[in-house]
Amino acid sequence: MGPSLLRPILVRAVSLGAVLVIVLFLLVLTLGATGYSDNILDAQVSEELRAMRTGLSETITDPDAVEEVIEAQRAELEASYGLDRPWYERLPAVVARVLTFDLGEARSIRAADGSNSVADIILERLPRTILLLTTSMAITATIGLTVGVWLSTRPGSRADRFVSYVAAITNGLPAWWAGILLILIFSFWLRILPSGGMYSTPPPQGAIASTLDLMWHALLPILTLVLVSVGPSIYIIRTMTLNVALQDHVTVARAKGLPEAVIRRRHILRVAAPPIVTGLILGLAATLGGSILIETVFAWEGMGQLYFKTFSGQPDESIIIGLTFMFTLIYVGARLILEILYVFLDPRVRYQ
Amino acid sequence: MRRRSLLRQVLASTPGKIGVTLALILGLVSLFVVVTFPLDFGPSRWSNPAVWADYPKAVPPAWTDALPGDKAVQHQVLDASQPTESTERGAARVDVYDLTLDYVADEPPSFLSFSLGEVTYEERPPSLSVTLLRPDEATVPLLRTTIRGPRPGEKPPYERHHQTPLRVLVTAEPETAQAASEMLAETYDVDIPASQVQDDTAAALFGAPDASGELQPLHGQYTVQVRVALADPDDSLAWVRAVVGGTVFGLMGTDSSGRDLAEGLAFGLPLALLIGISAATVSTFIGTGLGMLSGYKGGRTDLLIQRAADVVNNVPLLPLLIFFVFVFGAQLPLILLLLVAFSWPGLTILVRSMVLGLNGSQEVEAARALGASSRHILVKHIFPHTAPYVFTQLIFFVPAIILAEAGLSFLGLGDPSLPTWGQILEDGFRTGAVFLGYWWWVVSPGLLIVITAVTFMLLALAMEPIVNPKLRRD
Repeated sequence: MGPSLLRPILVRAVSLGAVLVIVLFLLVLTLGATGYSDNILDAQVSEELRAMRTGLSETITDPDAVEEVIEAQRAELEASYGLDRPWYERLPAVVARVLTFDLGEARSIRAADGSNSVADIILERLPRTILLLTTSMAITATIGLTVGVWLSTRPGSRADRFVSYVAAITNGLPAWWAGILLILIFSFWLRILPSGGMYSTPPPQGAIASTLDLMWHALLPILTLVLVSVGPSIYIIRTMTLNVALQDHVTVARAKGLPEAVIRRRHILRVAAPPIVTGLILGLAATLGGSILIETVFAWEGMGQLYFKTFSGQPDESIIIGLTFMFTLIYVGARLILEILYVFLDPRVRYQ
Repeated sequence: MRRRSLLRQVLASTPGKIGVTLALILGLVSLFVVVTFPLDFGPSRWSNPAVWADYPKAVPPAWTDALPGDKAVQHQVLDASQPTESTERGAARVDVYDLTLDYVADEPPSFLSFSLGEVTYEERPPSLSVTLLRPDEATVPLLRTTIRGPRPGEKPPYERHHQTPLRVLVTAEPETAQAASEMLAETYDVDIPASQVQDDTAAALFGAPDASGELQPLHGQYTVQVRVALADPDDSLAWVRAVVGGTVFGLMGTDSSGRDLAEGLAFGLPLALLIGISAATVSTFIGTGLGMLSGYKGGRTDLLIQRAADVVNNVPLLPLLIFFVFVFGAQLPLILLLLVAFSWPGLTILVRSMVLGLNGSQEVEAARALGASSRHILVKHIFPHTAPYVFTQLIFFVPAIILAEAGLSFLGLGDPSLPTWGQILEDGFRTGAVFLGYWWWVVSPGLLIVITAVTFMLLALAMEPIVNPKLRRD
């Protein structure tokens, strides 16, 4: 690809990179200026000191001596957490660190292998979230494309109108509530699917059994995500394809006597592809935030559930910043991939 | 576009008809709620356990009784303020209150409670006894007590239970279980120990053993008889009440603290509309304003606004919303402010492109040539062309905001003083309503969210082809 191709992509990459930095700065500014960061760290210091006090009081009997040691330790801990400096001196370093993917260490949450590195904890959960989102997106896209393109050949038919109503209703259907309904139906009443979690208790042995168990537990969350997104997806694809199908070049192709299959593939779908791909990728990025809700409903131990857990339990600054960074990174990354794909899919962009 | 013809055209389409009908219903119901409910409904009623003490806990809606299956107990509040009978013995008298009910259900009531209020006495505290008279002529003593005596230094007349009524949850008292066990032994010659009766005291109070010794509901007329002994003619008791806890309740059932879901959900309607419409209006206002400014001024202003829109448009909404609400605290105005702050860019970008197109139009050129001010041109010659489109966007924003707020509330980030639908759902989900099968607690709030969101979507859908003729169906 020539410079004419690289330039728009580079401009986009720079502006999306700026989004990442701005979001991080905003986070840090909020954490610092509201005193939230100080509170979290203070709590952390007090907790460590309390544990130490209990330990010390068993060996040292003089209470004054214990207090002395504790005070010395407090000063040391505060220095190590940077609490002796104001937040605007401490936190910019955090931004710089996070941007180089050094996400720090978690306080109480651990990865499965016992690691307390935030990067390890997030990387352990990332594939689980991606598994849910991409599987459901793949299913939605397949159904959306098949039914959407089929409907575009029958605009105004009964099926077409039915889909447009379903789309309007599912647009107003929160995925997390649909998930609750499905748990009620399939898990509570019919008792055929697990209500949440990722593995049965006790977890099955062996890689195959384990994978099957995971898929078994993923079934309901995936079904939920597909259920709420398939209607609008069909409708959008149908409308985009229909818009292209009504254009003059399609009429010309038809006048030339080209077979209908060729017209659909080369003259309609080829043109309608870029906006459809945009819609699908943007949809995927949008469900990323929604994963917080869906994973909470299904107790699916992905990134979203971790994000919620960090806030509702004991707030952990490293995980909050690390996860928000990852969410933004993935979101921005999806947009960038989109821009690159667009250049390949839509020749018009190249000649601008 | 003329406004009257817009409404007529919206009504001409099916989604428009359904949307307008639903919107009218939602509007009327919320008007009713706003007029009849106190503004501090959340703290004073919904979150006040004292209000809900005499309501059955976690029971389904009353209409479920129409479905085939066991006949449920309807919730009954038996009140009396005048004694049925009064016997005078000199200065003293005994007032008898009979509270009768017909018991026809196939299951025992969820509880039986007794309360009284506003006792006034001159000298000796009144004493009272409460007895259950059953259709099989057996009797069970439920309560025997004396109103609290004078405190040192207190002057007559003594007033008791004027603010807080005296309330006894009869079915939870070990003495009632003991009495019920004795009554069953005497009347039916079965030996069910009090410790066993206590597992479901109501089943023993309202039941009789069958051939195998199992307790079955005993249908017929029951009377809760209250006898009050008063020492002075001026002594008085304002009211007595027995509550037979239903196994079904109201239009939408109750939650596990006994709160009437229909009441909470009704309050949630105007709240949802207020949240959705106010945030959507402000957001549309900002989005349109910035878009017009950006498109009309051009240059550095344009660049700045477009970059800002680009940044806000590219951040993951929900994680950041959660972050800010957690850090700043869950207050409704703040939540609305955040929703507004994150939802303007889309409209700004679109309005800007429309303004760019209009800027070169003959109308604007002519106005400019005539020496019109920028403000005049923006307000009179540019905005009117974007107005129908902007209005449709406003209606599209409403459900988006309602759904976003519901999602936040569902994560437990709702304003605790204002019970929204999302919060009621969260309450249910967190306490395991789904796994206990309390479907009414999670289905109805979600359904209301969907209905409200869909109403606005249908309205917007019906308006879209009118503002954007390209989408008109042939």
